Amino acid sequence: MSDIEFQEEEYRRRLDPRLWRRVLAHARPYRRPLAALALAGVVVAAVDALLPRVTGLVIDQATMHGGGGQVLRYSLDYLGLVTVMAVMVWFFIVMAGRAATGFAYDLRRAGFARLQELSFSFYDRRPVGWLISRITSDCDRVSGIIPWFLLDLVWGTSLLAGVSVMMLRLNVSLALLVMTVMPPLAILSVVFQARLLRTQRAVRKTNSKITASFNEAIMGVRTTKALVREEANLVEFQALSGEMYGYSMRNALLAAIYLPIVITLGSVGVGLSLWKGGIDIGTARILGGATPATGLSFGTLVAFIQYAAFFYIPVQELAERFTQLQAAQAAAERIQGLLDTVPEIRDAEDVADPREKGINHVEFRNVSFAYKEGQAVLDDFNLRARAGETIALVGPTGGGKSTIVSLLCRFYEPTAGLILLNGVDYKKRSLAWLQSQLGVVLQTPHLFSGSVKENIRYGRLDATDDEVIEAARLVNADGFIRGLDSGYATDVGEGGNRLSTGQKQLVSLARAVIARPQIFVMDEATSSVDTETERLIQAAIETVLRGRISFVIAHRLSTIRSADRILVIEKGRIVEEGTHEELIRRRGHYHRLYMNQFAREEQQQVLEGIAREE
Amino acid sequence: MSSKDSKYRMIWGLMEGFRLRYAAAIGALVLGSCFMYMVPLIPQIVIDGVLSGPGGGGKPVSALVRRAVAVGGGREYLHAHLWIPAALLVLLTAIAGCFTYLRGRWSAMASEGIVRHVRDRLYDQLQHLPCGYHDKAETGDQVQRCTSDVETLRQFLANQVVEIGRAVIMMAVPIPLMLALDPRMTLVSILILPPIVIFSIVFFGRVRHAFKQVDVAEGRMTGTLQENLTGIRVVRAFARQDYESEKFDARNSTHRDLDYRLYKLMAWYWASSDLMCMSQKALVVAAGGYLLATGRLQVGAFYFFLAVVNMFIWPVRMMGRILTELGKATVSIGRIGAILMHPRETNPSEEERRDRVDGMGPGGAIPSHSASGGDEGFSGTRNGEIVFERVRFRHGGERHIVDGISVRIPAGQTVALLGPSGSGKSTIVNLLLRFYDPDAGTIRIDGRDITRMERKAVRSQIAVVMQEPFLYSKTLGENIRLARQDAAEHEVVEAASAACVHDAILEFEKGYDTLVGERGVTLSGGQRQRVALARALLGSSPILILDDALSAVDTETESMILDALRARRGRHTSILIAHRLSTLMQADWILVLDRGRVIQAGTHENLLAVDGLYRRLWEIQNEVESGLLDTATG
Repeated sequence: MSDIEFQEEEYRRRLDPRLWRRVLAHARPYRRPLAALALAGVVVAAVDALLPRVTGLVIDQATMHGGGGQVLRYSLDYLGLVTVMAVMVWFFIVMAGRAATGFAYDLRRAGFARLQELSFSFYDRRPVGWLISRITSDCDRVSGIIPWFLLDLVWGTSLLAGVSVMMLRLNVSLALLVMTVMPPLAILSVVFQARLLRTQRAVRKTNSKITASFNEAIMGVRTTKALVREEANLVEFQALSGEMYGYSMRNALLAAIYLPIVITLGSVGVGLSLWKGGIDIGTARILGGATPATGLSFGTLVAFIQYAAFFYIPVQELAERFTQLQAAQAAAERIQGLLDTVPEIRDAEDVADPREKGINHVEFRNVSFAYKEGQAVLDDFNLRARAGETIALVGPTGGGKSTIVSLLCRFYEPTAGLILLNGVDYKKRSLAWLQSQLGVVLQTPHLFSGSVKENIRYGRLDATDDEVIEAARLVNADGFIRGLDSGYATDVGEGGNRLSTGQKQLVSLARAVIARPQIFVMDEATSSVDTETERLIQAAIETVLRGRISFVIAHRLSTIRSADRILVIEKGRIVEEGTHEELIRRRGHYHRLYMNQFAREEQQQVLEGIAREE
Repeated sequence: MSSKDSKYRMIWGLMEGFRLRYAAAIGALVLGSCFMYMVPLIPQIVIDGVLSGPGGGGKPVSALVRRAVAVGGGREYLHAHLWIPAALLVLLTAIAGCFTYLRGRWSAMASEGIVRHVRDRLYDQLQHLPCGYHDKAETGDQVQRCTSDVETLRQFLANQVVEIGRAVIMMAVPIPLMLALDPRMTLVSILILPPIVIFSIVFFGRVRHAFKQVDVAEGRMTGTLQENLTGIRVVRAFARQDYESEKFDARNSTHRDLDYRLYKLMAWYWASSDLMCMSQKALVVAAGGYLLATGRLQVGAFYFFLAVVNMFIWPVRMMGRILTELGKATVSIGRIGAILMHPRETNPSEEERRDRVDGMGPGGAIPSHSASGGDEGFSGTRNGEIVFERVRFRHGGERHIVDGISVRIPAGQTVALLGPSGSGKSTIVNLLLRFYDPDAGTIRIDGRDITRMERKAVRSQIAVVMQEPFLYSKTLGENIRLARQDAAEHEVVEAASAACVHDAILEFEKGYDTLVGERGVTLSGGQRQRVALARALLGSSPILILDDALSAVDTETESMILDALRARRGRHTSILIAHRLSTLMQADWILVLDRGRVIQAGTHENLLAVDGLYRRLWEIQNEVESGLLDTATG
C-alpha cells in the first residue's frame, strides 16, 4: 500500500461494472423497494408517453366531431393519468428513501465494524479525517446514487421506448424523421457530461487546496505576523483563488452552453414535425377529406410536436445519471476497499481461551519489531515478568518503550519472536480475552463525550455507582470531580476537552483501576499531575496492583524508584537492568539519563511548587 | 429585521463592481424568456393561420396571427414553404439558447468574481485580525466559514439571485401574450398558480426543522465516529468494540430514521405539487377542449396555452425551495460578515507617528532613555535596544499577567527569562511583537515607542522561534528562506548548520527540497524547532527571541546550538526563555519572574551571591545530583 493512497485519488475514466456489482451485493436487503421503484418508473414513463396522445385526442374530438361529451371524457382520462402519476411519484420517492437510507445505514455499520477490527498499522497510515469521510460522505454518495440511477435508467429507457412506439403508431415516416435527432443528441450529451465531470473534479481539487490554505493561514497566523508575510501569503493565495475562478468559470460555461444546445437540437425535432406534419395535413386537405385516413389530424400533429419537444429530456437525464455514477465510483471503490481490507491482527481459527483467571507470567522471547520495513524498533528483545512485579521502562524517546507496551497489548504483533502469557503464545488466544485482562492508561488520555461517571465505567460496564466513586477515590480524583458543576454527572465534552490534561489523566486512571486488570500498563500516565497528587496515587494503586503485573513508563523519579525492576531501553534493546540503587551505583546509562532528564523535571517541579506556595 | 437588512446591504456591498454583470445577466434572462415564449407561437400561427385556412377551425383567427402570416409572405406562400416557419422555430430556440448561455456566463462571471473577491478578502482579513481574536476563535469553525459558508454564498449568488428573477419573469413575460390571444384561457391557465406558490412556501417553512434535525443527527453520528477513531487505542485496550458498535449503531439508526422521514415528507411535497401542476395542465386541456369544441378557440391557440403552461409551471413550484435556500444563505452571510467586519489590528495614524518625532526632539523627555545611560542614544540606528517601562497587561482576565515590568536590554546583549508557567515570560514576548498591546506603560525599541510604530515595522526587527513553531507546507529550503528571500544557497546552509539541522535535512531523500506537512514529511518537534531556528538565524533582524524554542531538542544538540549562538554573540539582542539552568546561566542578564513581576535580576554570579529563588533553584539542582548518590548509598 502506498503512502499517497489517501490523497486525492485520480479517478478512473470508465465505469467499472464489476465494482458496482460488488457494491450492489450489499444492497440485496433492499431488493424489494428497488424493484418497486423500478416498477413505478415504468408506470410514470407510460403516463408521460400517454398524456400528449390524450391531448391530441381531445383536439381531434373537439375539431372533427364537435363532441363536448367526448372532450369531457378525455379530460377526465387526463386527470386520472395525472393522479396515477402523482401517486407513483409519492411511491417512488418513499421507496428510494427506504433503499437509500437503509443502504447508507448498512454500509456505515459494516464500515464501522470493520474499522473496529483493523490493526493499528492500518490507522498509522491514514489520517482520522480521511477515515471519517469514508464512513460519512462516501457512504452517502454511493447509497444516494443507486436508487436514482436505477429509477432514471428504467424511466428514461421506458419513456424513450414508449414515445417511440406512440409516434410510430401515429405516423411511421414522421416518427422516423423526428427520431433522427436522437443519435446526435445522445452523442452530444455523453461528450458534454464527460467534460463536465472533468471540470468538476478540477474545481473540487482546487477547493481542497483552498481549504488547506485557510487552515494554514489560521494555524500559522502568529508566524505569519512575526515574519511579516501577510502580503506574500496573500499573493500566493490570490494565485490559488484565481485558479479556482478559472476552473469554476470553465465549469459554469460548459454547463451554460450544454443545455441550450440540447434544447435547440430538441427543437429541430419540433421543427421537423411542424414542417413534414404540416405538409401531410395540407396534402390531405387538398385531397378534400376532413379526416383523411393516410393524412394527419391536427390532434396528431399537436401530439407529435409535444413528443418531439420532450424527447431530449430522458436522453439528457440518462447521460447525467451515468456521469454521476461515474463520479461516485471513486467513493464506491474506497468503501469497497475498506470493507475488503483484512485485519492484520485477528484471532486464529483455533483460539482457545484458558480457564485460569489470572495471568501469572509474561515473557517476550527474542522479539523483534519494525513499523516500517528495515527500521527495526525492537531487536531480539527478551523480558520476563511475574505476577506482583512492577517493571519500569526508561530511556530516550524513540528507544522503543511505548512499542513494548503496544506489543504487549497486541496493538501490533512482533515481526519475529514470541510473546508468551502463562507460557502460551498469545496469538493462540483471542484478542478479546487478552484485552479484557488489560488496564491501560496511555500518554495522551482520551475520554469519550458523556459524563465523568460513564467514562470511568467504561473500564467495567457493570460497575455500580459506588464502585465508580471508589475507583475515583483510589486515584485521588474524587475531590476534583465533586468540585465540578454536576459532580460525577458532569459532561466532559468532546474528547474530554472540558477537563485539564491532569484531570483527564486521573479519570483515565480510575477507568483502568475499575477494570481490575491482570496486567496494568501506564505509559506516562501521570505526567500532567502534580508531584504531590502523584505520590498519593502511587501509594493507593499499589494495593490495586498487588499480585498483578504492571508496566510503567515514566520520567518521574518517585514513580520509577518504587519499581521492582528498571529496564533502560535504548535503540530497541535493554542496555541496563536492575533496581534504582543498583543502576545509580553502576554510573552507566541510567545515571546519565537521570542527570539529564530527571534533574530538569525535578527543577521544573520545584519552580511550579514555589509559584503555588506564594 | 434590521440585522436581516444589514445582511442584504452586505450582499449589495459585495456586489460592488459586479452589479453591471448582474444587470447584463438579468437583461439576457428577460430577452431569453421573450424569445422562448415566441417559440410556441410558431406552431400556433402555422396551425391557425396557414394550415386551418380561413374558417377552418372555430373562432376567427386573431389579429396577431393574421399579421404574422402576412409578414411571412401570405398563407399560400407559407403553405408551399413550410420549412420557413420550421426553421424559424429552430432559430428562435437557438437565439433563446444564446441568451440563456449569456445569462449563465454573466451570472457566473459575477458570482464567481464576487466569491473570488470574498475569498481573498477573508484570507487577507484573517491574517490581519488581532491575536486576541484568534485566541478565542476555533480553527475548524473559521475554516468552515471560509469554505462551506462561502460555497453557500456562491450557490446563492450563482443560482438563487437569477432563479428568483427567473420565476418572476417566467410568469410576467407570457401573461400579456396570453391575454392578447385569449383572456378566458389566460385565467384558466394561471388558476392553480397561487395555491402552488403558497403551498410551496408554507411547506418548506414547515419542514425546515426536519432538515435541521437530519443535520443535527448527522453531526452526532460523525462526532461519535470521530471520537471512536481518535480513541481507538482506548477502545482496544478495554476490548469495547461491541459497546462502541452499539453506540454508533444508535446514532446511525437515528440518522437513518430521520433521513427516511425527510424522504417521506419530500415525497408528499413532490407528489402533491406534481399533482397540482399537472391538474393545472388538465384544466387547460379540459377548458381548451371545451372552447375548441364550441368553436371559440383555435387549435393552434390551444396548443400555445398547453406549451406555455408547461413552461412556467415547473419553476414556480421551486419557489419554496428557493426561499429555504435564501434563509440558509443569509445565515452564511452573517457568519462570513462576522469575520470581515471584525476590526483589524490597529496601526498608528500618520499623525501619531509624526507626533513621536516631535516628542523625540532634543531633550525629549524619555526618562528611561537617559536613565539607561544610552551610549548611542536615538539616532535612527537599528541596533535592537529594548526598553520596557512599567508595562502592565491583563489579557482580559482579573489578574495582571504582566504586572509593572521595567527592563532595559542594551543592544547586542542576551537576557534570559526564568519563571514558572504563567509568570508572564511568553506574554512579554507577545507584547514586544505587538501581538497584544499593553494596558499601561511603554515598550521601546531603539528609543521608539512601539505602539507608535507600524506593527509590521516592529515585527521586522524581531526574529522569533516559538515552542511549537509553525512551518508552511512548502519545502524545507523555502521555509528557511522565508526570513530572507534573496539569501544565497550557502547562507541557508550556514543557518541550518548553526541550528544543527543541516545534517538531518540532508538525510531526507530530497534534502532541502523536501516538502513539509500533510503532503510531505512529518517532522518531529525537535526538528521543527531547529528548522524554525535556522529560519530565524537566516534573517537579519537585530532582535532574536527563543521562546522555549529548544524544549524538544535533546541535551547534546542543545549545547551545540548554544555554542553556535554564542559564536554569533553581539549580532543580535537576544531574549532567551528556557527551563534548563545550564542554558540560562550563559546569558548576560537573568530575570526571574513570578506572577508578572521581576523578582530577581542579575548575572548568574550576582544571583548566586544573594539568597533568593535563583540560588534555591541552583541548590536544588545540586541537591538532586547529590540526592542521587544518597539514594545509591542509602
